Order: sequence, then C-alpha cells, then structure tokens
Amino acid sequence: MRDLRPLATVLIAPLLLAGCAPSGAGSRTSASGSSLTWGVTTEPQCFDPHRSTQQNAFIIIRNYVDSLISKKPDGTFAPWLATRWKVSKGGTVYTFRLRDDVTFSDGTRFDAKAAKANFDYVADPANAADAASLLVNYKRSTTPDPRTLRIELKKPDSSLLESFSSVKLGFLSPASLKKGDTLCDASRSLVGTGPFTVDGYTRGQSVRLAKNPRYDWPPGYSGHRGPAYLDTVTYRFLPEYSTRAGALSSGQVDAIEGVQPLDVPLFKGVKGFQYLTGPSRQTSFTLNVNYTRGPGADIRVRRALRDGADLDAVVKAVYRGTVSRAWSNIGPDNSDYDASLKGSWGNEPEKANRLLDEAGWTGRDGDGYRTKHGKRLTLEVGYPQPYVRDNRDVLIEALQAELRQNIGLDLDLKVNTAGEFTDQKAHGNWTIYPNTLNPLDAGMELRQVLGSTEFLYGNVRGYDRKLDAMINRALATTDLDQRRPLLARIQRRAVDRAYIVPLFAPHYQIAATDEVHGLGFETQLDSPANNYAIRVGR
Amino acid sequence: MSAATAVAEPTADAGTRAGAIVALRRAAARVATGIGVMWAAATAAYVVLHTMPGRIEDILVGDQTYPGAQEAVAAEWGLDRPPVVQYLDYLWRLLHGDLGTSYAMRQPVASVVGGQLWPTVQLTLAAAGVAIGLALAVAVGTAGRARPLRALASVAELVATSMPVYWLGILLLMVFSFGLSWFPLTADSGVASLVLPAVTLGLPMAGLLSQVLRESLEATLEQPFITTVRARGVGETLVRLRHALKHALAPVINLGGWMIGSLLGGAVITETVFGRPGLGAVTLTAVTNKDVPVVLAVVLLAAFAYVVISTFVDVVNLLIDPRLRTR
Repeated sequence: MRDLRPLATVLIAPLLLAGCAPSGAGSRTSASGSSLTWGVTTEPQCFDPHRSTQQNAFIIIRNYVDSLISKKPDGTFAPWLATRWKVSKGGTVYTFRLRDDVTFSDGTRFDAKAAKANFDYVADPANAADAASLLVNYKRSTTPDPRTLRIELKKPDSSLLESFSSVKLGFLSPASLKKGDTLCDASRSLVGTGPFTVDGYTRGQSVRLAKNPRYDWPPGYSGHRGPAYLDTVTYRFLPEYSTRAGALSSGQVDAIEGVQPLDVPLFKGVKGFQYLTGPSRQTSFTLNVNYTRGPGADIRVRRALRDGADLDAVVKAVYRGTVSRAWSNIGPDNSDYDASLKGSWGNEPEKANRLLDEAGWTGRDGDGYRTKHGKRLTLEVGYPQPYVRDNRDVLIEALQAELRQNIGLDLDLKVNTAGEFTDQKAHGNWTIYPNTLNPLDAGMELRQVLGSTEFLYGNVRGYDRKLDAMINRALATTDLDQRRPLLARIQRRAVDRAYIVPLFAPHYQIAATDEVHGLGFETQLDSPANNYAIRVGR
Repeated sequence: MSAATAVAEPTADAGTRAGAIVALRRAAARVATGIGVMWAAATAAYVVLHTMPGRIEDILVGDQTYPGAQEAVAAEWGLDRPPVVQYLDYLWRLLHGDLGTSYAMRQPVASVVGGQLWPTVQLTLAAAGVAIGLALAVAVGTAGRARPLRALASVAELVATSMPVYWLGILLLMVFSFGLSWFPLTADSGVASLVLPAVTLGLPMAGLLSQVLRESLEATLEQPFITTVRARGVGETLVRLRHALKHALAPVINLGGWMIGSLLGGAVITETVFGRPGLGAVTLTAVTNKDVPVVLAVVLLAAFAYVVISTFVDVVNLLIDPRLRTR
C-alpha cells in the first residue's frame, strides 16, 4: 500500500496544481487575524513533558513548557528561566539563579521550590516518569532562597546542561504535578509557564492552544520579548503525507510539518509557499550492528557490510536528493560531530569482497549469496514496525539489493513488532537494529547505543570494554570543550570497527504559505520551534 | 429483540403465552450466548497479547531506559503479578464496569474508547448506508438487463471492490477536497466532512454487495412465481422491488457479519487518511504498544457489535423468510 502514495501524488499533482492556485491559500489566515493552523504528522499519545516518549509530541508540548536554560545552535547554552548558573569544581553541584518575574499560567509563581518540585517528581521512581532517564545521577535539590536552586548529583554528569535545556525537564505548575499521571490528557490542568496554554483537545483530530498574555520570559536566543504574536494555534493531526500536502495546497491549513520528497516540488520555490528544512544536529539514521553474535561478530564481515555499497547513490535515489548520507551516528550539525569521518569510509566493494573471502565466506548458493560451510551469509535487520517511517524501510531494501549484487551479503530486513524487539533486547540476541536517537546530549546518545548499561548492549556479553570506558570517561568530564575530542574518538572507533553503519542524516521539513513569518527550528530538538516567534499576514 | 415484540403483544390465549415464553427463552439464550462470545473474545485476546513476545514494561519504557525503570513501570500497573492473577483481576474489575487505564495514554479506557466510539459508529453507519444504497440501485437497475449495461456494472463493481480503501480515499480527497473544495477536511463541519470518508469506506463494499445481490436477483427472476407475477401484468420495476428483491436479499443479509468486520478494518485506514477521530488510530497504537486494557476494550466492543448484528440478521431473516418462522 505504501507504494501507492507516490503514485497517487504523481497522478493527481497536475490536478492539484491546476485546481487550486496558491493565491487562495492563506487568505483565510489574514482574515482571522492572528490564528494559525498546523497540519502535523503525529498525535501525541501523552501531552505531559515528563512522560511523553514521542519526539514529535514535543513540537506541541514546547508551546506551554519552558526550561531552565536553552540550547543555542553552536552547542552552547543561553539563559531562560535561569539567568545564570555555576557548576562546582568536582562537577557534582549545579547552582542556578532564577528569574523572579515568571508565573505559571494558573497564576502560581515560578520559584526555586516549584523547580525543585518538578525535578523531585521526575526523579521519584514511584512516578515512573520517562524523563527520569535524564536524572539518573540526581541526588537532591535545595532552595537556599526563592531565586536559588542548588542541585546535587551522585556523580559528575556532563550531559546535565543539555538535559536541563530539554523540554522533558521543563516545568509544570506544582498544582499540576499533584494531578500526577492524569496529565497525559491535553486538558487545561496541564499548566506550564510557556507562551501558550492548552485550550481544547479533540482526540484523533486536533489540539488548540491560546496565547499566554502575561508571557515575558523567552529563551536567551529569542528575537523578541513579551507575549506571542498569535492569539490561537491549532495543531491538526493529519498522519498521511498526501493529505497534509493537499490540505496546505488547498488552504485548509497554513503550515505543515513532514513533507515527503515527492511533494517537495509542490512548495519549494513555488509562489505563495515556503519550504524549510531543519538541522540534522542530534542523530543520523544508523544500523547498529551487534558485534558479538553470528557473522557480525567478525570485524571483516562488518566492514564489508559498511563498505560494500555506494551509500551516496542509494540515499540519493531513495530521497531524491533531499537528505545527505551520514558519516557518524551523531548528526552532522552537532558541535560534537566528528567531521574527520567525512569521506573516510564506504563504497569499496572490491575491498569488501576481499574481506569476505578472507573471512571464509567463499561459497555461493543458488541465489548468488556467499556461503560458508553451506550456511548463507545473512545479517538480519530487525526493524520494529512502529518506528518504520519516511521510507526508511525502502532505504534498507535498496541497500539490501546493492549488497547482494556487490558482495553477495544477505541483509535481511525483517519488520517486527516492538514486542519482538524488546524480547531480543532482553536476551541480547538482536542482530542489527536501525534507529535514530531521541534528542539528548551527544555523550548520552553514544552511551545509549554503544554503552554496556543501556538498551542495546545492556544484556549483551562481550561488549567492547575499551569503548565503554571511553564513554564513561566522557560523561564524567564536565568541561564540554575538553570532552569533545573524546567523543570524536568514540565515534571513530565505532565506525572503524563497524559497530555502527550510519546511513543518512534526517531533518524535519516545514512547508507553509508565504503569509506565515518567523518559522524556525529548535536547536535542542531539531524539530519545528514553538509558535512564539510566528506572525501571520502579508 | 424478538422477546420485546412478543411480550408487548396482548397474551389473550394460552397459545400466544406459550409463544411468548418460547420467545423469551430464545432471547435469554441469545443474551447468554452473547455474553459468552464477548467473554471468549476478551479471554482469547488476553491470551494472545500475553503470548506475544516482549514484556509490556520493556515496551513501555522503550529505548530510553535507566536502572529500575522497568521495575517502576511494572509495579505501577501491577504487571509484576502472575498473568492469571492479572486476568482474574481484570475480569473482576470488568464485572464492576471498570475497563481499566491505558498504559500508554494514562487515561481511563472507558473515556478514551467511549470518546472515539461515536465518530467510528457514525462513519461505519454512513458507509454501510452508501454501500447498501448503491448496491441496491445498481443491482436492481442492471439485473437481467441488456448485456452492455450489465458488463458496465460488472466492470464498475470489479474496480470498486479491488480498489484499496487507502488509495480511494486519497483520490477522492485530491479531487473533491483539495481540487474542487467541495468537502472540507475538518471533521467538525458536520455532514459535509462525512461524505468523502463514507464513500471511501462504502464504495468497495458496494461493489461486492452489488455483485452478490445481482446474481441472487437474477436467479430469483428466473423463478416460476415471478413468471406468475409478470403474467398478472405487474410492471417490471414493481416485480423487482416488491416481489424479487425480498427473496434475493437473503444471501446479502447473511453477509452482515462480514460487513461489520470489513467496515471496522477499513475505518482504521479511512480515519488515518482523513485525519478523523475514531477508534482506528487508538486501536492501532494500542496493539503495537501492547496496551492491554485498550485492546481488550476494543475487542469487547467488536464482539458486542457482532452479537448485535448477528441477532439483527436473524430477526430480519425471520421477517423476509416465512419458512424460518415455523419452528
């Protein structure tokens, strides 16, 4: 069914273009003054910042939740609800000086006690909050005075500044926190300090936000002060690519998030529309190869997998040149990305073939695949169905075809269930896991997919102890400039030993009518920023 | 349903009273079987969900884990108890009308499923209306008619039945919503926003119903009693509508159960394409997340719908086929 999508677009696009000139689109917007309607890919399962696990949920949550500090595009941090901060020499005490003019939208004052209440809530195992994964080293907070928040850690943790800038550790009013786990519903009891408030929710259809008229505490990188320009914002849930594109073309929404490569020409460079792509800062789509099991335990096989295909061409063909191929699993726009990896690997089929010959995979079976002792050279890619999106399965299939032809390796894509994958995780017997990572500190990201305690290698025996030690050392280094070379070495080792095969650098796409101004992306999330800077009109 | 009508009738003589008792007994049996079917469906779903690979707490925690995360989640939802205990606890709470809380959405299942129920019912009813209406019109209009007309209808039916709901939905949207701006995408604009989804979901079914109905109608039109009716000088349209249709309907009515399954399945896709509220998206994410309470609630609902529809089909069959009444 998937294959019909582009076909539908191709067949109907002329009709679309002829049927509705963009001149009609957006006029609705200027007439209603200051409201904006988004068409977005994902309806959040949970609207609570502390509990949500979906990256796309944060696009919406960011409108009503602020954080302690904000992350700038260069990787440094700017003030937000905290005006300045200090990290103790040993790296175990963080002291934040808070603004004194901030209130939650229910009128409660935001002070050190309110901040402490949030962190205590998240860190308490009884609440089983997802964001607790960011506070594993949190010991306690103290509040010497209403404007001073002192956070003590169990041990130094260089990922914490990034975590404090994350929406996941953003603030809800203490009254909201008392409502506990009912906050997943987008109701008015979900109260933050953000520039908008939750105004209405129809499950399966849309969520409406209203301006917070008292707002005057934007992040340090913001271009203006005071309340947001828009009075109301509606997020309409339109999970189908073609439906979103059509809704924008016909003026039924003002902006959309998520544009498939085939629909890009409808908006990019077209009069009446604008098309923007976000940074690829956080993570690249990567094959994580279990280097302890089966044929993948042999470094020669892994390197053959890494270098056996022309990845540039494969990525270009599948995404029509809208994204670039990746060199590391850390996003190319990240300040911790190791740029020296660029051009250092890939597309060497002859060498790959030699490696496989050396490794003893010299036989061939009826289908042309290499064999050893009668066994086919197969590496299974277990891809949980809920995570399959934007043609990533198609990309793996294209790679599969090329690897088969070039080096006789069977990269076997198996779309499984989240349950099957968690089962493999629990037994440590997964083979190849393709994924992108949630927005996190780069050190944390590397630990997640390569560290010995995390979801991939937590139950795998025989992990690379040297790599693991490097990761732990990086996370204990509080000076972010000092740890950068260490993070680069970790990326190089992982790529060199082909523990990871990075594929492409994804980014968010926004298309909108040309009457929407101030669209952009949030650095910490890579995703569309909240609506604080957006204005509408000619 | 038959019980209600029987009781309402005046029970003047012993014969009717006996009839009423029989009808009551039958209705009671129906209700008991219905409850049995729902219990069996929920139990089967429970067993299947628990034998599917992957622990629920692992799935809920996902990739961003930390020491103790699974244990905290398991303790929160009582997943650390033996499955049998969880099952009995579920049944016990179900008996008290408590459908539980969604693991992923953290809201009462009754409010989540209840809130999404009406849009789906609305959509499936409208689609069923489209399907039945179209099928009736096409079948009655073309059965036993000239070859070219029938051939045309057959081709149309074939195209309709073989068109994936997804593709049809996009096509209709492109033409009538994005192109001609006749029907808006917004779901709160009443009937206008229901038209395209209903046609999307109803058209493939109309194709199949129409095929079955025409064949059955043609077989009926061959029957001697139709010749008799025609001999009385009754016009062709009346022959079809009043005399032949009733006989021809039997096989179509028996497709009722299948229709429900197919409509509910298609509703998932239709709701996604049109961005409509409904049970579709909720069910899909619940199954992939092993959100047991939500899945069980939907299974119970579907089983209930089947029971109601099959009862309805039996009653309608009694009405149109007198042979079934003398038992």
